Amino acid sequence: MKDVNGCNIVDMLDLSDNQLVKLSKNNTFSLSLEEMKVIQRYFQGLKRNPTDIEIETIAQTWSEHCKHKTLTGIIRYTEFDDTKAQKVKTYKNLLKETIFKVTMELNKKWCWSVFEDNAGIIEFDSKNGVAFKVETHNHPSALDPYGGTSTGVGGAIRDILGVGLGAKPLANTNVFCFGNPNVELREIPKNIHHPKKVIKDAVAGVGDYGNKMGIPTVNGAVHFDNGYISNPLVYCGTFGIIPKNKIRKKVNVGDLILLVGGKTGRDGIHGATFSSLQLSYESDVNAVQMGNPIIEKKVLDAMLNARDLNLYRSVTDCGAGGLSSAIGELGRKTGAIVYLNKVPLKYSGLRPWEIWISEAQERMVFAVPPENKNKIIKVFKKEKVEAVFIGEFTKNKRLIIKYNNDVIANICMVFLHNEMPKSTKTAVYRIKKEKLQKSIKMSDDKISRTLKTLLSDLNICSREWIVRQYDHEVQGQTIVKPLQGNSIEISGPGDASIIFPYNIINGTKKGVVLSNGLNPQYGKINTYKMAASAIEEALRNAVAVGANIEKIALLDNFCWGNPNYPKILGGIVRAANACYDVAKAFETPFISGKDSLYNEYSIICKKYSIPSTILISAIGIIEDISKTITMPLKNKNNKLFLAGITRNELGGSVFAKIINISDGIVPSVYPMESKIIMKNIHMAIKKNLVESCHDCSEGGFAVAASEMAFASGKGIIINIDSIKTDMCPMTPIEILFSESNGRFIIEVKCENELKLREIFKNAVLTEVGYVSDDNNVIFESKMHKIRIKENTEDLLKAWRNTLNW
Amino acid sequence: MNFKIEILTKKCFENSRGKNMLSKIYSMHINGIKKVEYSPLYVIGGNISFDEARIIAADLLSDKITETYAIAESDQHCKISSPILSMIEVWYKKNVTDTVSESIIKAVKDLGISKKFKIKTGHKYYLYGRISKAVLSRITTKLLANTLIQEYKIIK
Repeated sequence: MKDVNGCNIVDMLDLSDNQLVKLSKNNTFSLSLEEMKVIQRYFQGLKRNPTDIEIETIAQTWSEHCKHKTLTGIIRYTEFDDTKAQKVKTYKNLLKETIFKVTMELNKKWCWSVFEDNAGIIEFDSKNGVAFKVETHNHPSALDPYGGTSTGVGGAIRDILGVGLGAKPLANTNVFCFGNPNVELREIPKNIHHPKKVIKDAVAGVGDYGNKMGIPTVNGAVHFDNGYISNPLVYCGTFGIIPKNKIRKKVNVGDLILLVGGKTGRDGIHGATFSSLQLSYESDVNAVQMGNPIIEKKVLDAMLNARDLNLYRSVTDCGAGGLSSAIGELGRKTGAIVYLNKVPLKYSGLRPWEIWISEAQERMVFAVPPENKNKIIKVFKKEKVEAVFIGEFTKNKRLIIKYNNDVIANICMVFLHNEMPKSTKTAVYRIKKEKLQKSIKMSDDKISRTLKTLLSDLNICSREWIVRQYDHEVQGQTIVKPLQGNSIEISGPGDASIIFPYNIINGTKKGVVLSNGLNPQYGKINTYKMAASAIEEALRNAVAVGANIEKIALLDNFCWGNPNYPKILGGIVRAANACYDVAKAFETPFISGKDSLYNEYSIICKKYSIPSTILISAIGIIEDISKTITMPLKNKNNKLFLAGITRNELGGSVFAKIINISDGIVPSVYPMESKIIMKNIHMAIKKNLVESCHDCSEGGFAVAASEMAFASGKGIIINIDSIKTDMCPMTPIEILFSESNGRFIIEVKCENELKLREIFKNAVLTEVGYVSDDNNVIFESKMHKIRIKENTEDLLKAWRNTLNW
Repeated sequence: MNFKIEILTKKCFENSRGKNMLSKIYSMHINGIKKVEYSPLYVIGGNISFDEARIIAADLLSDKITETYAIAESDQHCKISSPILSMIEVWYKKNVTDTVSESIIKAVKDLGISKKFKIKTGHKYYLYGRISKAVLSRITTKLLANTLIQEYKIIK
């Protein structure tokens, strides 16, 4: 390489295939040989070598993070079922043929912007939309949990600022997957953080960023599995309100490029391409980003002022790939010229390519009409936000970068955005035959002990220690909160949260509901059922608080291992197909999504992959926030109903893990059954017939019923024999702990029973018990001579004490 | 001249961050440490005079009721001879963004000191207890410092 004006000339025109691969690897380009050859041919055509900044620009633009090249590439998929029958299919673009396809086919008029901007947007009312985005920030969080999660939150917020002409963020959601915090320190490999440190630092990072920005963190989930010890997963999401007339953006030739916010340093260099690599703890210090929420808050306030004054035509955030991705994307249809010397730096000594691809935080890029040049600077100056014009959008469809008056990059936008070769990968999936476990029987005492063990299991127990570190009340609009109950000491896990944006939209009665679904344990057996169950869980959670299934949108976040292994990619294909099938059946479109692949790590030369994990987030609109429901029981003598059928589905359940059984059927989703139940629940809530409602998920019916009881301090008497099962015979234990989808426990006043039954005449609804006048939780089966009795205080204690740090 | 400012919790108040770190050490099943004290550290470089450093320490970096401060030349370390005390300083590596220092620079200007200066922030831990070098190293690298972005100095 030769140094010219701060840039190296990358001598690649005559390199052999092996040398091209080496060049890519040594420079963290994460480009395949095929991609390197396309780049080589492009520059051979220009009869010159590229500069380092040019090849870095291409590497960022073609990165897995920016282009999702695995899921949009060609996949040759073979599926084997237990009869060894083969199903072969070639996907030209898996995302388009599953996730996008369902949205296109459903064609919901209330979906205003899908898969085309920094976030998806659905209709809130005739004048306003709700924008929602969930991102992953896994590798940075593994290296520095505090910095990784805080900048993850900052990035999700900037996605909302960068959608359309900018939405006002209303709430955050954060979902984590961690290793077991109780693992011995000596068992943790060198250079890997202990899960307890990861958890504490990650939670602190989320709280510090969200709380300081004045945005409530209202929703989330945590899943524990030792497969995440070296590679934790961090999902950060934000939603906001955007006026309908601020959704469309465009860039005109002659618009000026305005860079706003933080200064540029060596933070997060190669973040976009780094996400295509296996995690290494020998990573460069520059891979880590540090957040500054105070700057982002000022950017937020100033840019929304500028938006309302119509001072800019387009905006996007500087995320992965930094200025390279932001300006490359904004100028793809026009062209752009950038004067790199004008970018404000944190310190001197940065090379041009470092300035260009740095992922320094809290930066946004705007397209500003020249006539607004002075006015927009005044707006940012008033909030003491640094804002500098660094170039303009041109009509030549080329990306030109100048440094010290010399052109150091000159690339055709069409090449940059349209000529990335499609990858071809092989995917294989062998469907495991699921076998029903041997009939499970236990003494009353053992069932009681098992119930308490389930409640205190890491994947069920209270997340209060985390929730209370987050401000979920700031802005004063959170009307259904993450913890629900009689007091601070007595509370249970809410199914979903609701924001009532009355501060932003005067006079509205509407609310926004936020929920999620995730269960990687199912994915260890069947990734199709994992994805299907995650969708149903997210929908159930939203419906349980009052959302209308007919106006709920979904977001997908795939986190998988290395897709170059056919088995791993096969699991992704199955999950993507489940997304299509189940979302189509529920008529719930996907509006945005993200994938994070290559989540693998090496310990003593052996490679490990994380458990395949899909997070489904749901967002819905509630027409009248006075018609919302929480999960704690309300009054004694009220009747308890179970909607839905309990099936013998203990595969991948928490119960199966606790009693150490490997067999069991993973819960399936029956959308036609569940959809009717969800519609009925919405109708019943609308008619004020429901006093409390809670869905059955991890731990099954017994855990859900116990949570409703201890969250209120009220007792219940449940007749196990009355619970409706399918044709397969089940023992009381299987009935209590099966994790079948599609079930809700509903509390109803006696006088409303008939009206509820009338609504549910087309679905399974069974009276299973009532709220008692003491604080005992009783499950009994006269048929099997079982009677379990625990008081709510003991159950609450079991649930609260595990993560009570 | 560079000044190193250490903010110390007054003896009559609880050193809450030290106590929090002690609980983290215990939660990792590491025994031998009886007490931890924590002090934020700052190194100010540039044209700042000692008097100005004192104003910054007193009026900006410390809480007059619960904390006091000590100012020294930046490379000075007090020597300790106690076998039951270890001191560990943790600093960000070069080029790692130090957002707290960015806020301090702005706040110092608000105090009326308009000179150009640089500041870096760090952490100091006093560990009381009889522990081996290996255990001390484990505490430092697993809990006190993230060695990817921070460097540490053990003063024994």
